[in-house]
Amino acid sequence: MGHRWDFASVLDNYPALLAGAVGTLRLFALCLVIGLGLGLVVGLARSARSAWIRLPTGVFVEFFRNTPVLVQILWFYFALPILLPFEIGKLAAAALGISLNSAAFSGEIFRGGIQSIEPGQWDGARALGMTRGQAMRRVILPQAVRRMLPALTNRAIEIFKMTTLASAIAYVELLQQGRLIASLNFNPIEAYTAVAILFFICLWPLVRLTYALERRLARSD
Amino acid sequence: MYRWDFAPVLANADLLVAGLVNTLRVTGTALVVGVALGLALALLRLSGRRLASWPAGFVIEVFRTTPPLVQLFWFFFALPLVAGIEMTPFMAAATTFSIQSAAFFAEVFRGGIASVERGQWEAARAIGMSRGQALRRVVLPQAVKRMIPAFLERAIELMKTTTLVATISYADLLYAANEISQRSFRPLETFTVAALVYFGVITVVSQAARRLERRLAVSGESTVR
Repeated sequence: MGHRWDFASVLDNYPALLAGAVGTLRLFALCLVIGLGLGLVVGLARSARSAWIRLPTGVFVEFFRNTPVLVQILWFYFALPILLPFEIGKLAAAALGISLNSAAFSGEIFRGGIQSIEPGQWDGARALGMTRGQAMRRVILPQAVRRMLPALTNRAIEIFKMTTLASAIAYVELLQQGRLIASLNFNPIEAYTAVAILFFICLWPLVRLTYALERRLARSD
Repeated sequence: MYRWDFAPVLANADLLVAGLVNTLRVTGTALVVGVALGLALALLRLSGRRLASWPAGFVIEVFRTTPPLVQLFWFFFALPLVAGIEMTPFMAAATTFSIQSAAFFAEVFRGGIASVERGQWEAARAIGMSRGQALRRVVLPQAVKRMIPAFLERAIELMKTTTLVATISYADLLYAANEISQRSFRPLETFTVAALVYFGVITVVSQAARRLERRLAVSGESTVR
């Protein structure tokens, strides 16, 4: 281990890292909101009574769950613009790939959560005169979301990690900036170590939160 | 209206097949090493000795909470400089994904071992087995059976993660597709075909996993997620 660690060469480039962090957070926020929001829609559609709604969403979920995210991002960036009359930016392509992928995965979480609620809750809500929609909104979902919370924070962690894939299409995020710093200063060891540490610092609290939620849920059930 | 033309992609089908073989090679290597290493990490973490369980826990947490692409870049660009060794893209990919999946498999093993009732341990000890014997003969065989669904899910995740090796120029399926699309100026067709190939392979594996899971459910074992 003869290497002399020199993190100064990384810290000198903090504006580049900062720009990368902003890019990572922007992509993460976008994918979190769209991914989980669409996931709820997918989960509801998968629990719908009509097969006309259930089957197409099933195909969507299977397709996005069974293909790699990186392939999806590259497809949206390189292939989709050929079919469309307008350009697709790097942020849009990465956000599309990651959001749709997360929607498919979190859709299954929402479906599982909704199905885990006892049928008696439905019957009780209907007996009080609520419509199916009202029962879902007022009785089923609030209980289901509580049970799904650990799975959903896990999804958020996965989304955060997936944002690095946007560097494959040169979107400015932390890893991309790390690569830039490494190639300009010939310090890949420090640059990539710094990026890894930054991700660890960002995600560690989320991981602890997930553990805490899991424990609390295990106790209350 | 765009006119689809798959001929340039099909003309390069051999590249795609070679890429798929390389994808499976990385996946297979990482799976074998990852399971063995994962079991070792899980046993260390459950050993009850702080000197063993803390380092194992640290490795597991670090590899679970950093993005795989960052790990891959670190092993490919940084490690050769630290350790003074040559690193081929395949070695970097195999190392990264082995350790990364080991971290995830360790959690699967730990959950499986923890799910075996304490009575099984106590009974094994009562008939004179050592801790190691009880683990090997009584607890692990039961735990492994319960872990199979989680295990297969992880293997599928691993295969999807291996697409990252394309970013360090290892000729996997995605890399081959990228090559073909640049050569033929047909990105739409090539990336669509690549996505369909992944979809086909992964769907077959996950259907098989689902069938196995149902059979295990019939035989009355609960499953660990």
